[in-house]
Parts: sequence; C-alpha cells; structure tokens
Amino acid sequence: MNSSHQRWLLEQLPQWEREGLLTTEAARTLRERFATDASQPGLAQMVMGSLGALLIGSGLIAILGYNWDEFTRPVRLLFAFLPLLLTQLFSLRVLQRGEAAAAWVREVAALLQALAAGACIALVSQIYNMGGEWPDFLFWWFILSLPLVWVLRSHAVAIFYLIAIAIWSMGQVEHGRPWFDSPLLYPVLLLGLLPYWPGWKNKLPLSISVRWVMTLSAIFGLGSVAVFVAQKVDSPYSSFDDETYVWLWTLTAAIIALFPLTQAGIDESTGRKPQVVLGTLWLLGFGIVATFRSSARHILDGVAHAVLLPWCWGLFAVLAGFVVLAAMHRRWAVLAIASVALLPLLAWPFVQGKGDSVGTLLSSLVTLHLSAVGITLIVLDFIGKVGAPRLGATLLSALILARMSDSQLSLLTKGIAFILVGVAFLAFNYFMSRRHRQLTLVTV
Amino acid sequence: MKLLSWIIFGLTALAQWAAPLAQISSHEQVLTQGTLIKLKCTAPDPYDPLRGRFLAVRPEQREAPAPKDMLVPSGATVYGLLSTGPDGLATVASLSLTPPASGDYIRLKSTYTYGDKTQLQWPFDRFYINEKLAPEADQWFAENIRSAKGITAEVRVLNGRAVLADLSLDGKPFREILKARVK
Repeated sequence: MNSSHQRWLLEQLPQWEREGLLTTEAARTLRERFATDASQPGLAQMVMGSLGALLIGSGLIAILGYNWDEFTRPVRLLFAFLPLLLTQLFSLRVLQRGEAAAAWVREVAALLQALAAGACIALVSQIYNMGGEWPDFLFWWFILSLPLVWVLRSHAVAIFYLIAIAIWSMGQVEHGRPWFDSPLLYPVLLLGLLPYWPGWKNKLPLSISVRWVMTLSAIFGLGSVAVFVAQKVDSPYSSFDDETYVWLWTLTAAIIALFPLTQAGIDESTGRKPQVVLGTLWLLGFGIVATFRSSARHILDGVAHAVLLPWCWGLFAVLAGFVVLAAMHRRWAVLAIASVALLPLLAWPFVQGKGDSVGTLLSSLVTLHLSAVGITLIVLDFIGKVGAPRLGATLLSALILARMSDSQLSLLTKGIAFILVGVAFLAFNYFMSRRHRQLTLVTV
Repeated sequence: MKLLSWIIFGLTALAQWAAPLAQISSHEQVLTQGTLIKLKCTAPDPYDPLRGRFLAVRPEQREAPAPKDMLVPSGATVYGLLSTGPDGLATVASLSLTPPASGDYIRLKSTYTYGDKTQLQWPFDRFYINEKLAPEADQWFAENIRSAKGITAEVRVLNGRAVLADLSLDGKPFREILKARVK
C-alpha cells in the first residue's frame, strides 16, 4: 500500500468507528500498522510546491538571460549571487525549523536553491562569454545540488539529480574521454544518493515516483556506460558497436531486475517494483529476439567482444552477488527470467568457428529456456505458489509466433497457426478470469 | 546527525559560491593582466535557452602546424604560440604539447590531426548580447562578416587562458556600433 492509500485509510477510520464498522481496538491496530511518516510530503504538496519553485526559478533564469547590458559587470554579478544568497537563507531557516517545517516547504526551499545555484553558474558564464558544452554546466549544477537532497530530504531535487546524471552520461559517450569525464562516472554519481539523506530514519519505502525515476536513470546511465565501453578503440572517431552493447544492456537489465530487496519489498506488488517490470520486459524481449537465428548470430558476435571488456566482468561480479541474494530470498521467477541474459555465454564456447550455423544453438537454447519459463510461470499459480500465469501464456504465445515467423512454412500454415494461438490465448485468459473469480468467492 | 546536516549544508552553500567565484577570479585575472590579441572571425548563430542571446564566435583559423614527430590525440590539450601580423591580427604560429617557454600562447583542444596539420577547438565560442540588441547584432554581423575588414574578436590571454573581451569592426567596439545603429 502506498502512502496516499495509507493516508486515505487513516482519514476513513474515525467515520468507520462512528458507524460501528470497526471497534476502537481494531482502528488502533490499523493506525499503528499503516502509520504514515508526516515528514514526507504528499504527492499533491510535492507537485504544487515543486511547480511553484520551478516557475520562480525558470523566471529567474529568463530574467538573467535578458542580459542587462546597461549595468556594469559587478552589478550583473550581484544579480547572479543575490538570488543564491536569498534561497540559501531560506533553506537555512527551513533547516533551523527542523521537523516543524512542512514537507512541501522543504521541497520548495531545496528546489529554489538548486535552481538559483544553476542560474548563478549560467549567468557568470554568460557575463564572461565562457565557452564549454552544456554537459559541463549540467555536471556542476547537479553536483552542487546533490547535498540538498540529503539535508533537506527533497524528493524533487533527488528526481532532478537522477534525471540530470542520466542525461549527462548519455551526453558523454563520445570515444576517447578519460573515465572521470565519461559515463563510467555514472555508477559513482548514482551512489551519491546512497546515504539517501543522513539523519532521516527511513520508516517508509521510497515513493513510487522516485523509484520509477531511479530505475529509468539507472537504465539510461548504465546503458550509456555500455555504449561507451563497447566503442572500437582503433578508430579515431566514435564507432558504436551495437552487437556488443546490446548484450551488455541485457546483463544490466538482469542486474536491475535482481536488485536486492528486503522481504517487505519482495512482498509488494510487481507494479510497485519498476526495476523488476522494466528489467523483465527487456530480458523477455531480448529472449524472443534471440530465438531468431540471424539475431542469435549477432548476439554471439557481441559476446565475443564483450567478454574482453573489464566492464563486462564488473557486471558479472555484481550479477553473481545479486543472484546469490535472490536465491536466498527464493525469488525464483525473477531468477529464471534473468538467466536469459547468460544463455549466450553458455552457447558461445560451442559455436566458435562454426560459420553460418552459429545462431542455431543459441536460438534453440533460448526457445527451450523461454518455453520452460513460460510453463513454470503458469504451473506455479496452479500449485498454489506465486506465479504469473498470464505473463507465462503471453511468453509462450510470443515464442510460438516468433518461431513460426522464422520458419520456412507456407503463409497458409503460418496464418492458421497464428489464429489458433490467438484463440488459445483468449481462451486461457477467459479461463484464468473465471478461476480468479471462483477463488475470490470461495475466500469470501 | 543534526550537526552533520548543518555541516553538509554549510559546505554546500560555500561550494555554490566557490564554483562561480573561482571562475570569476580566473577570468578577471586574464581580463586585467592578459595580453590583448585580435582574431578574425566567421559565421553567427544566435541562441542558448539558459543564457539567452549570443553571437557564435569562430576564429577564422581552424588549423595549425602539428608538433613535429608527435602524435596529437583527438581531444588533447595543445598550446598555440601566438604571433601578430602586420595587420594587427593574431594567429597560432605553432603548436606544442607543453606550454612554450616564452611568448604569448593560448591553450586549445585538438579535434583531429591529419598529415602535418592539427584542427583546433578554440576555448571560446560565444559572445552574449542583450536581447533587445540581438536582432540588430545579427544583421550587423551578417553585413560585416564577409567585408574586407571583417569582424575581430578581442581576446585577453594570460598563461594559456583566454577570455573573449569584445568584438570590434575597424577598431570600434561592437556595442558602441550597435547602440549607434539602434538610435
């Protein structure tokens, strides 16, 4: 249950007590169980506060961008630093008030200060006609904003930081950059959020919006690292090697999907775990593509290049750690799906120097593996364990369609097969809906 | 923990001042103590969403002789020794991978080396202008960029660092010309 649901529940309790739906004792138990952290802002507060701060900050930047030619350089510099000073004083006051400061005020203070810091750097570079690229500006802006996430516990600045580090990493994929000015810095930048606010007792899990932004940031940030390390070093220009980085992306997707969770995190619904949703989607998509023989051949070419890269071995090490933790928590379904990423590695030693037939082994291996995963996801549900029957059926249907497309069968045969798969899929969906309804009635 | 928050906040506030102040100090030093050089420029291009209107300033010289017997990788920092011609305009006469022992020089980036030439990336590329003057500046730039006199960038250099101080045409500062045109 997310915090907005919890707040709604707590608001209803007095009414339900008055109506006799709940005893005082039951209401107290619910209050204790679903207590909200009052120091965390509600979504509406956060959006309104952030919007206000964004409008003020954007207005400030636009006014400064006008370039006040009539004023001397010192006066223009004063314009740059005055808003920064004022927002710092505002944040100082908020920090002094501590827990007494409303959550949305903290958000506004942090966001305004972050925007004023960015505006100050921009104006100074305008006054002195400094050159430089936008990623350099962005880098200093988010570095100088990061501590505000810690001290003012600002979700808005955390989201800004996560988006900014991903954008910065994607802007740095050019060949030949030193590691500290390349996407290789992204994991270190992401760790900047690890303290996630010293002094804050983390009673509640991260909000769903921060989780989604964090996952997307990790996908784009780590994805840009893969693109950067996979470039051909013998070329004077950037030469992207898609065969290599696609497999590195897949290893990254497996790591993201298997990111360690506490038991409470595992018990949450899948929809509240964007890392599992997005990681799984990529892995299954990759698996289906790998069933095509020509794609499998390219994937194996990529594996041959990737295993020579230190980044690839770093991913293996992290993946191994996450696999162990996932096994300890019995996250079998996610483990089964994540294992798709390692299938090319299994096939690779057997196909070297085998010419055009190299794709067949991987294609067959992935087909078998995905079939087993699909069937397992269905069977788990029928034997009373946590499964995903609809995902399993979708996977099997996609697999059949992919295999049929890649075959030499006539169009008529393919057409009939597609219709049969479609009918079977709808029938299964209908059957599962009925079964779910019956089980619900029995429980009631 | 409260103390830690205060320390982090204090350091952040200081860093937010220190980063732009360090840039200001460095640029002011070059502007006040640096040698004035003039470079002939080409082609305009006018907008930055964060910092407003500007004129793209591209010195005409795009390449210089590569250092002899040295491989200059793309993106490497190189030092250009400046020499001033009889017309008063400066050019990069030679490049080296270390700062020259004497003479005025400028720190540049090499973008690509072919044969005995290295392509250069200058450390400045824009001149910010007032929004009201921008349309006039565009027109002025277009009218004069291909004239025989051409537009010159006035740059101060000190210990390799360069700061674009002004643009001028025939010795007259750019802003004065624009203000006279707007009247």
